[in-house]
Amino acid sequence: MSYWQQQPKHRKLLLLLVAISFAAAFYKAMHHPAPATFVAPVNDQLVGTPKAIIRSHFVSPTQNISTHAASLVDLGNGYIRAFWFAGSREGAKDVQILTSVFDPVYDRWSPEIAIVDRHSTQSDLLRFVKKIGNPVAHRASDNTLWLYYVTVSIGGWAGSSITAMTSHDDGNTWSAARRLITSPFINISTLVKGTPFNYSDGSIGLPIYHEFIGKFGELLRLSPGGEVLDKQRLTSGKLAIQPVPLIQDTQSALMLMRHTGSAPKRVIGAVTTDAGQHWSAPQKIELKNPDAAVAGVALSDGRLLAVLNDTETKREVLSLVVSSDNGANWETVYQLEDQHGQHPEPAGYAQRAAQLAKDTEATIVDASAYGASARHSKCMGQSCEFEFSYPYLIQAKNSDFHLVYTWNRSHIKHVRFSLEWLDQRITELRKEETDAAVH
Amino acid sequence: MPQFTDLTGLLGVASVMSAIVMMLPGIARLSTLHKGILLSLIFVSVLMPLGELPLAAYVRGATGDLSITTLVLIWGSLLHRWCGFASIDAKQRDVLLKVVALVAVALYPLSLGVSMFDPYRYGFACVAVIIALLIITLTAWIRKSDLIALCIAFVALAWSIGWYESNNLWDYLTDPFLAIYALWVIAFSMKKYFFKRPLKET
Repeated sequence: MSYWQQQPKHRKLLLLLVAISFAAAFYKAMHHPAPATFVAPVNDQLVGTPKAIIRSHFVSPTQNISTHAASLVDLGNGYIRAFWFAGSREGAKDVQILTSVFDPVYDRWSPEIAIVDRHSTQSDLLRFVKKIGNPVAHRASDNTLWLYYVTVSIGGWAGSSITAMTSHDDGNTWSAARRLITSPFINISTLVKGTPFNYSDGSIGLPIYHEFIGKFGELLRLSPGGEVLDKQRLTSGKLAIQPVPLIQDTQSALMLMRHTGSAPKRVIGAVTTDAGQHWSAPQKIELKNPDAAVAGVALSDGRLLAVLNDTETKREVLSLVVSSDNGANWETVYQLEDQHGQHPEPAGYAQRAAQLAKDTEATIVDASAYGASARHSKCMGQSCEFEFSYPYLIQAKNSDFHLVYTWNRSHIKHVRFSLEWLDQRITELRKEETDAAVH
Repeated sequence: MPQFTDLTGLLGVASVMSAIVMMLPGIARLSTLHKGILLSLIFVSVLMPLGELPLAAYVRGATGDLSITTLVLIWGSLLHRWCGFASIDAKQRDVLLKVVALVAVALYPLSLGVSMFDPYRYGFACVAVIIALLIITLTAWIRKSDLIALCIAFVALAWSIGWYESNNLWDYLTDPFLAIYALWVIAFSMKKYFFKRPLKET
């Protein structure tokens, strides 16, 4: 006989506890937010750059450190804030998350500022944190700026969890970091990379992925206060990670994902036509992908724009591609980087990287420092390779596009182009195609 | 200023560490008062910052927050060893562990991406899951398996009030450490059962 069985009064109390507990549980479940539609892309097109321009800059000036995984958020009036992580090497204990603001008037980035490191994170989270990475920024419907990043307490990146913090002054000051609980297995292996988006009820869609044993993409729905409301699986097994949603209208979206499966290496796509309540089975689309991150946006006129390494092997080519038929066919609009087959020895590599830096930003005083920095990150012995990876693309409310990506693991590069430039570029391509057909 | 959910998480880890110390040889001989003082000292020492963080926070970094089911079992053991509170009925505990093992065998592999079906999703306020748990709880109460009823009632209550950072019911019901313990106890009892069975005469 147990204690409870010997105490009938206590059994009644237990029944009362059951009644109260389940009444509370049903109350909470009944008040769970209903599914919502997407917020469709809308661009004011009033104060955007009126000319067909494309310009590039370096966001991060610090030399000889490992720099990676940038993201962007629109501050309005053409101002953009970037976030990335940097340290002595990826995953090192000295890694910090840095930020900088792009000033469209002076056409330059502000000095970088560190906002988070592992010490501040573990102090906020009250749990040990070994390393941090992958900052992803987002502006919610209520104007709050969210910064999501991954933290690892044990193991490698596969042991990541997501941490979030907020800012109500466009990123000048930040709240304490909070942990998102997204997995039942010691909450490990949930990472962020893709662009978040808003639902019509103010909740936030956060694309995430899992890397422990399985490799698959998922989608989180968060309340405006940051509470996890739902988690949806986009792929399973070891097929794809790093989902990037291209929201076309209130109901439709294409999810592009980095392919981690077997050859042929292609971008993985999935579509929804009911605001993400159901997603199609993931399948390979025509875009090549060397197991590398993809970025993209949907334009308000329905066209889709993506940036990726469109090769099957390395990350030495970076292309801007467009689709006018919901992602069925894509064409390259512009070659952002192309160092295919360039594998010079360290001295030649540094020289070539310095030239690329000068091409990026003509005002750079000491391009050789950028070359040396790239060599520091990308040369092992006599073997060097170029890497242009982890693109992150947004369209600002003024219709300008802003792209950031990792430049040889040593700097973050920013490319800004106007909608007019994109249209002009596509018109030129059409003309070239027509001319080629004629000849 | 620590958040409420950080304090509950750290207290959970401190509870487990205290239970481990209470199982050490010689502790049983102490008086209730001395055991109480010892428990207080353990709680203070693991929750007091050592350098940047308290010891419990280092453990929490690796373990995450422990499920309410784990805490009910831990506190059952602690109260028994500390002030002679009635011990948890072994039969009821074994039934509870079988339920936990059953949940774990389905939940963890599927959450690691075995298929497109993810049961963890249904822990975010799914009415069907809550109804199922209510049926299990009432059945347990009627059958006088009060430990199961108590555990699930605490799980539902803790989830409803946001006791932990997690908004998912499964995190309150089970955790990987409890699942490993449950599977180990079941495997051990099966071995014992088969080992003790007399061989059939041929």
